[in-house]
Amino acid sequence: MTELIPGKLLRVHLSENDRYEDRRLYDAIVDRCRELGVAGATVFRALEGYGGSSEILRAHMLGKDLPIVVTIVETPENAARLLPELRKMLPNGMIAVSDIGMIRVQKTV
Amino acid sequence: MLPKGAAKKVTIYVNGDTRHHVEPLWNVIFSFLKQKQVAGATVIRPDLGFGSHGQVHDPKSEYAGDHLPVRIEFIETPKRVDELLPFLYDMVTDGLIEVQDTTIIKAAANVKMEPPQSQPAQNPPHDHFAGPAKLVRIYLGESDKLDGEPLYEAIVKKLHMLDFAGATVYRGILGYGVKRHTHKSGRLHFSRDLPIMISVVERAERLDELVGVVTDMLQDGLVVVSDAEMYRVLAREGAGND
Repeated sequence: MTELIPGKLLRVHLSENDRYEDRRLYDAIVDRCRELGVAGATVFRALEGYGGSSEILRAHMLGKDLPIVVTIVETPENAARLLPELRKMLPNGMIAVSDIGMIRVQKTV
Repeated sequence: MLPKGAAKKVTIYVNGDTRHHVEPLWNVIFSFLKQKQVAGATVIRPDLGFGSHGQVHDPKSEYAGDHLPVRIEFIETPKRVDELLPFLYDMVTDGLIEVQDTTIIKAAANVKMEPPQSQPAQNPPHDHFAGPAKLVRIYLGESDKLDGEPLYEAIVKKLHMLDFAGATVYRGILGYGVKRHTHKSGRLHFSRDLPIMISVVERAERLDELVGVVTDMLQDGLVVVSDAEMYRVLAREGAGND
């Protein structure tokens, strides 16, 4: 039977042009996660989507503002500590939290 | 088409000039297998051989003519082989029948097969599966390699070979993980090492197997498992739904 460590998966939905203190919001979130000692964070850019603003986000000839998802996997305690921080940084957007089990693989040093 | 997994390989050795009534025995066996619609059969004429009579058979030997060894091979499911063996046992009056356990790794046909006419087209054109499933996300780096090949490609190929329901590879635009270095692609970075996430959805009972395969191949990374419900619709091959 596979041994899984219980954890939380946070998915922060925002858009690419969102800013936080003069920088890209997703950049700021990843840096904040690092400062808080969060184990890892990954940013994905989607092809198309819509969300809170009901505007369809897709690439245009004149620049793009695409949907972004930042995913973070952490222990339930660390996730609980991180959530209020993320909420402070996100002007509008959505955070989805789900229960997961995790396995860390680290074979190199 | 043969299903993947356990199968039997049957090899029959006869002499080219052994006859069954008037026809050569190997030809009779071959026609029999064809008529029984076995998945495939091959007739091979070796260069040299000898059997229970101790006589060396080769094309140059003086009285050879047609007295050469002939080997007939076919592979079928254990059940079909059990059905066919009594007939073959009866037919091979002079020769040898050998059965080996084997494993089908891949049985693929490039041509779209017409559905056999003996089966009426009453089957629905799709296979459905609905039930508890697991969503597995695998986090790794784009530059991770396995024998020179990108690790994410190696993992997807392996999962495909093992018949896992499906895998999708996502490339992130920024991130960091266990090794705490930032994965980023800048304009000046020629070699990029972006975060990669592979997501796999599979029936819950195959989770252990899936996790085992993935953790074996992964060097540094994270495997995340969550519960899911799966509704899968599969267009059945050759069902005439295209």
